[in-house]
Parts: sequence; structure tokens; C-alpha cells
Amino acid sequence: MTFERIDEVRNRIPRTARANMRTDVMFYASDALRGPILKDRALEQAMNVACLPGIVGPSLAMPDIHQGYGFPIGGVAAMDWRHGVVSPGGVGYDINCGVRLVKTNLDLAEVRGRLRELVDRVFADVPCGVGGKGRVPLTEKQLNQVLTRGAGWAVEEGYGEAGDIEKAEERGCLREADPECVSARAKERGRPQLGTLGSGNHFLEIQWVERVEDAEAARAFGLSEGQVVVLIHSGSRGLGHQVCTDFLQQMGAAMKRYGITLPDRQLACVPVQSEEGQRYLKAMRAAANFAWANRQVMMHMLRGSFAGIFGKTARLSLLYDVCHNIAKRERHDWEGREVDVLVHRKGATRAFPARHPEIPAEYRAAGQPVLVPGSMGTASWVLAGLEGAMRESFGSVCHGAGRRLSRAAAKAGRNAAAVREELERRGIIVRCETRDGLLEEVPEAYKDVDEVIETVALAGLAGKVARLRPLGVVKG
Amino acid sequence: MSRFEILEHTADMGFRVRGANEEELFANAAAALAAVVMDTSRAQGLERHEIASEGEGVEERLVHWLNEVLWLMDGRGVAPARFDPGVVWGETRDGAKHPPRLVVKAVTFHQLRVWQDAEGWGAEVFLDV
Repeated sequence: MTFERIDEVRNRIPRTARANMRTDVMFYASDALRGPILKDRALEQAMNVACLPGIVGPSLAMPDIHQGYGFPIGGVAAMDWRHGVVSPGGVGYDINCGVRLVKTNLDLAEVRGRLRELVDRVFADVPCGVGGKGRVPLTEKQLNQVLTRGAGWAVEEGYGEAGDIEKAEERGCLREADPECVSARAKERGRPQLGTLGSGNHFLEIQWVERVEDAEAARAFGLSEGQVVVLIHSGSRGLGHQVCTDFLQQMGAAMKRYGITLPDRQLACVPVQSEEGQRYLKAMRAAANFAWANRQVMMHMLRGSFAGIFGKTARLSLLYDVCHNIAKRERHDWEGREVDVLVHRKGATRAFPARHPEIPAEYRAAGQPVLVPGSMGTASWVLAGLEGAMRESFGSVCHGAGRRLSRAAAKAGRNAAAVREELERRGIIVRCETRDGLLEEVPEAYKDVDEVIETVALAGLAGKVARLRPLGVVKG
Repeated sequence: MSRFEILEHTADMGFRVRGANEEELFANAAAALAAVVMDTSRAQGLERHEIASEGEGVEERLVHWLNEVLWLMDGRGVAPARFDPGVVWGETRDGAKHPPRLVVKAVTFHQLRVWQDAEGWGAEVFLDV
């Protein structure tokens, strides 16, 4: 792999590296992160993205980049709204997979003594839904309302408080979603799954604020050292997966009609302005709304768990909710002109800087909160978007630590009891529905989240606000 | 139960399967997928579910077939017991009888390979989990 090291954290693969590339690849990686990134095929995938018609600016790769399907995970690509393409692979199977951070009015000392009880309670109250169903039965009509109204539907139905909506990206609902564009089978698959966590890397984690790095931003976000918070990482469940599967299949045939040839079938794409492209976007937005309703319902269940253990004085409120698998139409300034683009963020988080009108008023002076979950035993971060992200990454930044080991490699030579014991020795209680779910997500399977954060901070894409440490983990 | 081999992928997982002919390859691939999703060892073939063949070429047909089997498990709650060409035999999924293993989001075209050699047919398939 030929690349130029521009500075401490910026690296470029020039468009001349391969015949069909339309633009450069820019990847953010420190010396420590470059090794693991070069080990898999992630950068080759970023080069494939650079071949897509209508790409504006470089094909971007965040420091948590790893090999995905079609697009790399940790990839960002802005496509011209008029002349570019939309790719379901650039959003992913888990449409609007995202992270919600819930603040509590409890501190570490209050929670530590009752932690096991709390984790058991949350595990019982928030279903993982691995092979089973959730507890929010929906009629067909209600499901269509979820798909149209997102988190707002959940709050109106009593799964939350009015203020919850204000603090979510897009206020928990993308407009111009059309349930008619979602297939009957996607609806059938997703209908029983509202309010479920899922498996894989999805989890719910009880954490505490270990360190505040930016006192002013932390004050604006309502965070202080020692405070207990809860991070929910989940997406659109089977509904979103099926939407992606359905459209990938349809687009394979449609691409031939539009004369698009690509290095990887999984990159399937069609013109944004085509009928197929517009239908996909309407279905994708509907799936995104399902995901926001899903995380909202789980937050409501979590409130029940905390009230059950700590009584009615325990207060839970939403800090923010971000999506990290999405394509959104946005206007950006690029090389001196305003561009109208469809920004694909595949394993990447929006990171708008201070004063941006899309940011809730209370946070506007600090920048948009960016939530970056780490691995099970290590740390997660709250960041705030910076101007640098607007200048060079279409207002985007990383989304996690990024995997380093395959699932099989993570499991090899480890047993669940030993992993659980080791985590407990470090003060972390884990409840996991499946044995493999625990082993595949061992902390060693991931890159060092602190190094990823250091890299984006050095690049000026987002600034550090607070480091969070885990106390209890619930997963599928 | 067919034998299959798990393949490495940083984020997700895949498997390699073989079959004496195309029909057996498809059946073994479906069994491998089912075994990733749940323990199917006690599943009984009480109900019959038909899957129409779709796609251009064997690779597209295989991905379509496997995505349909996945939809039966995740969307219809079926625990598969055995597979005939275009048919899944199974029963209603029950967490106690068929302990869940992983939620598979989709069967992908990523690094997909289907080949024929002296020993019959082979395929490598990657899953998004």
C-alpha cells in the first residue's frame, strides 16, 4: 500500500494509486494505529469508495477504520446530490446504528454498592431479543407511525419524556421517510423487535465519568466527575437489516441499466436522483426512525430499572443520541464553494462545531456532543465537534475503538468464566445472553480507544470533553 | 448436520462449505448459517417453507437463498431442521429448545466465492453479525 504521511495523523493515498480512482483517500492514523489499519483490507475498501461516481472531496477513513462490507467501517464519503450515487453499503446493514448517552443524578458511591442488583435488573428489563421478541407489540398501523415519526412516536406513546426528543440528532426523526418503501418482510422481521438491544457489538453499559477534560463543555452537557451515566449502543434491528438486503439485491440489476461498474458487488449503488435511489433513501429514513424509537424505548425501560432500585428520586435524562450508520443530505463549504451532498457515514459520527444551528441551544456554544463507545473493559469518550471536521471531513469523526481481532481470534484460547472473573476484578459486572457474545467482545479484540481519540483530537476534528469508565455491561 | 469451517474477518464472520453437487452445497450452506444463528440440533422438520430461486448465476442465487433462510429464522421465527432444494423444513423457534447464538444481520456478497472442482462444489460466504 503506497501512501504519503502528511503530518502526525494525516495520511493520503493519491488518486493515481489505481486507475479507476476519482479522488484521493485521506486516512487519519497515528504511528501506533497505522499498523493494525494496514493489516486488513480496510484501505483497499476506502480506495474502492474513491471510485464511486459523483464523490466530492476525498474518500475519508477515520482512525477506527476496519474492514467492512463494500465500504470500510469508519468511512465517510460525500456524494453530489444531483450527479452522485447512493450506496446502501455506505450506510450498512444496521441502518442508524447509534449511541445514546443517558445522564443520571447518581454518583459512583451511590451506585457501586448496588451495582450487581442494578445490572441484573437492567438485564431483566431491557430485552436483548436474541432469538426472541421485545415487549412492545405493534400493529401494522403503529409500526408505520414508528417509521414515520421515530423517537417522537415512542415519547407520545408514553415511552419517555418530552425533553428526550430535544437532545437527539435530528430530534430522533428523519423527515421524508416513507413506510411504503419498506418491504412487507422487513416490517415482519422488525415488528416484534422494538425495544430490543440485539447482539454482536451492541450493548448497554452503566458507566461513570472518570475525568473531565473540558470543564466548560462538560458543564454545558451536564457532566461532572464521579457522575453515573448509561450508554446504549443499538440500531434498527431486523427491520433495517432487511431494508439493506432488499435494496442491495434490487440495485445489482439496476446498476447495469445505469452503466455503473464497480470493483466490489457489495458497493452496489444507483444515482441519488434515480427512482431506486430515492426509494432507498425513503426506506433508509424509515429504518433510521425505527432505530431512534428503539433506543428511546430502551431508555424508558432503563428509567424503570433505576426507579426500581434507587426509588423515584433517581432521575435519568438524555445527554445526546447520535447515529453512526447513515446517509444524510447536507450543505457544506468545500474548496470555496457550497456543495449539496449526500454524506454517507458508515461507522462514523456527525461532529458539527459550535454555533451550528443543528445543535440543541444548550450545547451550541460547546459544539455537538459526539459519543464514542470503547470496548467492554476499557473506556468510552464524550467529544465535541470542531471546525476542523467542517473543513476536512464533512462534519464527521470516528465512532468507536474499531476492531483489531476477528471474532474467531478473540475467542481462541479464552473461556467465558475467566473473562467474566477478570472483568469483575476490575470492578465491571457483565450480564450476557450468549457465551460467545462475551468472548467475541473481549477488550483485547479492539484497538486502544484512547489512541483513536488522541488522533481525532490532534487532527482537530473533535475535542475531548470527558472519559467514561464502565461499571456494568448488559449485552446479547 | 453438515460440517463447515469458520473463516476469519476483522469485523464479522464467514464460513466455507462443500457439497457433492449444487443442491447439497446450498443445503449445507443453509445448515451452516442456521448453526451460526442457533443450536438447531433438536429442531424437528414439522413445517415446510418454500423459497423461490432468484438471481443471476449461482453466486447471486446462493446469497438470495441464504438471505431467505435468514429471514425465515429472524422474521418468521423458524428453527430449521433440514433443507431440500428450495425448501426449508423446521418448527417454531423456542429459545429453550434452540438456544440462540448470534444475531446475523445479513448474508453478504463480500469476498463471495462459489467453485466447482474434482471433489464437487465449494463456497465461501461472509455474514454481517
